[in-house]
Amino acid sequence: MSAAAVQPVLSLVGVDKRFPGVHALKGVSIDIRPGEVVGLIGENGAGKSTLMKILSGVYQHDSGEILKEGKPTRFHDAADANSKGIGMVFQEQSLLTNLTVGENIYLGNEKQFTRLGIVDWRRLYAAAARQLAKVKVDVDPRTRTDELGFATRQMVELAKALTLEENAAGHLVILLDEPTSVLERAEIDILFARVRALKARASFIFVSHRLDEVLELSDRIYVMKDGAVVGELEAAGADVTRLHQMMVGRSLQAEYYREPLQKPHRSDVMLKADGLTLAGAYKDISFKLHAGEILGIAGVIGSGREELTRTLAGFAPHGGGRLVVEAKEAVLRTPAEAVDAGIGYIPRERRVEGLVLFLPVAANITLADLGGLTRHGLIDAREERRLASNWVDRLKIRTPSINALCLNLSGGNQQKVVLAKWLNARVKILILDHPTRGLDVGAKEEVYELVRAVTAEGVAVLLTSDTLEETIGLSHTVLVMRDGEITHRTSANPGEKPRQVDLIGHMV
Amino acid sequence: MNGRLDGLSAERLRQWLPLATLVVLVVLVGTLQPVFLQPATLLQLASDTAVLFILATGVTFVIMLGGIDLSIQSMASLASVVVALTVARLGYGAFALAIVIGLAAGFLSGLAHVRLKIPSFIATLATGGVLYSAALVISGERSITLADAERSYQSWITGTLFGVPGVIVIGLVVLVGAHVLQSHTRFGRYSSAIGAGEPAAYASGVKVGRQKIIAFVLSGGFAAVAGVVLAGRLASGSPTLAAELLLPSIAAVVVGGTAITGGVGSIWRTLVGALIISVVRIGMTFLGVNIFAQNIVFGILLVAAVAITIDRSKIPIVK
Repeated sequence: MSAAAVQPVLSLVGVDKRFPGVHALKGVSIDIRPGEVVGLIGENGAGKSTLMKILSGVYQHDSGEILKEGKPTRFHDAADANSKGIGMVFQEQSLLTNLTVGENIYLGNEKQFTRLGIVDWRRLYAAAARQLAKVKVDVDPRTRTDELGFATRQMVELAKALTLEENAAGHLVILLDEPTSVLERAEIDILFARVRALKARASFIFVSHRLDEVLELSDRIYVMKDGAVVGELEAAGADVTRLHQMMVGRSLQAEYYREPLQKPHRSDVMLKADGLTLAGAYKDISFKLHAGEILGIAGVIGSGREELTRTLAGFAPHGGGRLVVEAKEAVLRTPAEAVDAGIGYIPRERRVEGLVLFLPVAANITLADLGGLTRHGLIDAREERRLASNWVDRLKIRTPSINALCLNLSGGNQQKVVLAKWLNARVKILILDHPTRGLDVGAKEEVYELVRAVTAEGVAVLLTSDTLEETIGLSHTVLVMRDGEITHRTSANPGEKPRQVDLIGHMV
Repeated sequence: MNGRLDGLSAERLRQWLPLATLVVLVVLVGTLQPVFLQPATLLQLASDTAVLFILATGVTFVIMLGGIDLSIQSMASLASVVVALTVARLGYGAFALAIVIGLAAGFLSGLAHVRLKIPSFIATLATGGVLYSAALVISGERSITLADAERSYQSWITGTLFGVPGVIVIGLVVLVGAHVLQSHTRFGRYSSAIGAGEPAAYASGVKVGRQKIIAFVLSGGFAAVAGVVLAGRLASGSPTLAAELLLPSIAAVVVGGTAITGGVGSIWRTLVGALIISVVRIGMTFLGVNIFAQNIVFGILLVAAVAITIDRSKIPIVK
């Protein structure tokens, strides 16, 4: 094999990208050769998404070069990337479910079937049927997309990407961004078989959290960590353990999650779920959350843990069972009721639900407890400044001033503002919904440190996280959920932390 | 980062643009017509601005949290009719009645918007239609001129206090009260938060629906006050008394620099905006522009102001 001698279809040379406060890509160089499936792995925040977004025209790189068939190029938007031969199959499916399969396949490209402004639907559907045949999907292109299962939709996406063969310049590169996350094993097998069969037509970049799948499908694998490529290896000689080590790249895990700061929790029960049920989401959930405890909930998409989190934050009241918050039975119909009950929510969508980006740092910090600042109906501005400055100092929030808009802060500092808001409101229970999503390593460590500090003061924490490792590393107790039910509970105190493999068995 | 620096200086420019515009306009008109800068003219300008300012102040509360109230001119007209019809019997109570109707109409608009989840422009368009028809019906489709005896109740509007016209005093009271409400109370802070990021405000425990309803109640109430003042100044009530004031009012809010998308703004900005509108109006009169053509200018001004004040990074899709 003299693969290296072949000219790459697509090369990235020293590609660099910065966002305010985050150096997302640090001189990344990768090559994609003709007919190759290249795996791209890394933890959340390693830079995979940024890389994919640069290749699909969502972001522009700051420096470095992208070479398509040896020629320098740059993708200005998705349509531009398409026209230059980059196809995309995304994890959040991009098909419009109210349109037919055929309409979706040629969405935005109907022009070739159009005469005098009228679309010749017969020709469009005939062409769509040919695209579907390429991926061996037996679906009438006139079917409405919402009638299809996720697996078939994924195939339709693939078929859509393959239309670029006819319209785009040069060899095709198709980005597969977590295409298997909602698929069953049998469906994954079919998808992989199709991808292999299509290698003569296109090259693929395959991004996935599932290392075994990456090993199975890829020819070559790049490992990313903290915005840089830290390894490149042939899939043939690699194994999951090796990939994982390269990805995490940390020997002192316990230190990373501040395990030495993990104190035994107290005995007072802050929140008790007793047979909690929400139709279609979760059923018969029972647990106790103690003061000073971090309770991690593990589970895949569809396990019901996300809905359970939303229930406890006041967004989706439970239908059955009992929820007891500090010895008082409660149904949390709105976030306002959750806040009144002493529960604060740190959402995964930090920039949407966590912060009012266009308000200053100070106003965000005091937002959940303005009542405490109000004297005779008026907000005590001096007291507000004092409190905000205090929190900025205590949590080491890096901001030009307390009057700066949250918009201009880095992700980690934004997250600290969200935390400050709840600490200022003196909540006793914190719901952490993927609290380190999108943060770089340093910021994550700061968040871990702060979470340890607040639990040491008796705040009870319920945690759902992007990685099992984080769940295990932080928690006192881990619950595993599958199909809406708790399938496993285990202690995760220092010295008796469960292994990831033990939990995975209960998740799938 | 270059883009960010540009963004910051553009932000600063946006902030001071309205005041700078006002100053330039005043100097411009004053140069062309020196009589404009005489105290008597300026006092007249302030008096003429008061009604517009009061209307615009009410709708500022709604715009701050990202909504709109299109019923204000109908409400103001209705208030003038109510005053004209009842002042003989109720005396000062007529003013209270008009204002209570305004508060109630705002409450209903707010309820339709919040509880029935109807976009505010539809809810208030409907309310406006209802109020307009109500004014037509109860007035018998005519203008009602106040009798001399009834006019005595209007002296707090038409008279002077320490030499300052009553309308200006009312305008100042509205300014102070509304400013305190918008900039120093929980309601004001919550409405900025809702306008700038409703999901985050909601997740932080803000009772979003309640704040919205309060804003519509205030808007209806202030519209009624504007109608009361207008009735006093013109010594009459009519279902079309405030008919030409919706566009200038919204223009005043936006020209003052309050973002039409909500979140950013203040009552002070609305004052500056209302003064700009008034100066432009007077300028046009000096220049001999037909009074009926003036809304052409205000329409253009509104679009230009929205285009300048809006932060496009916040709204990728406009519907």
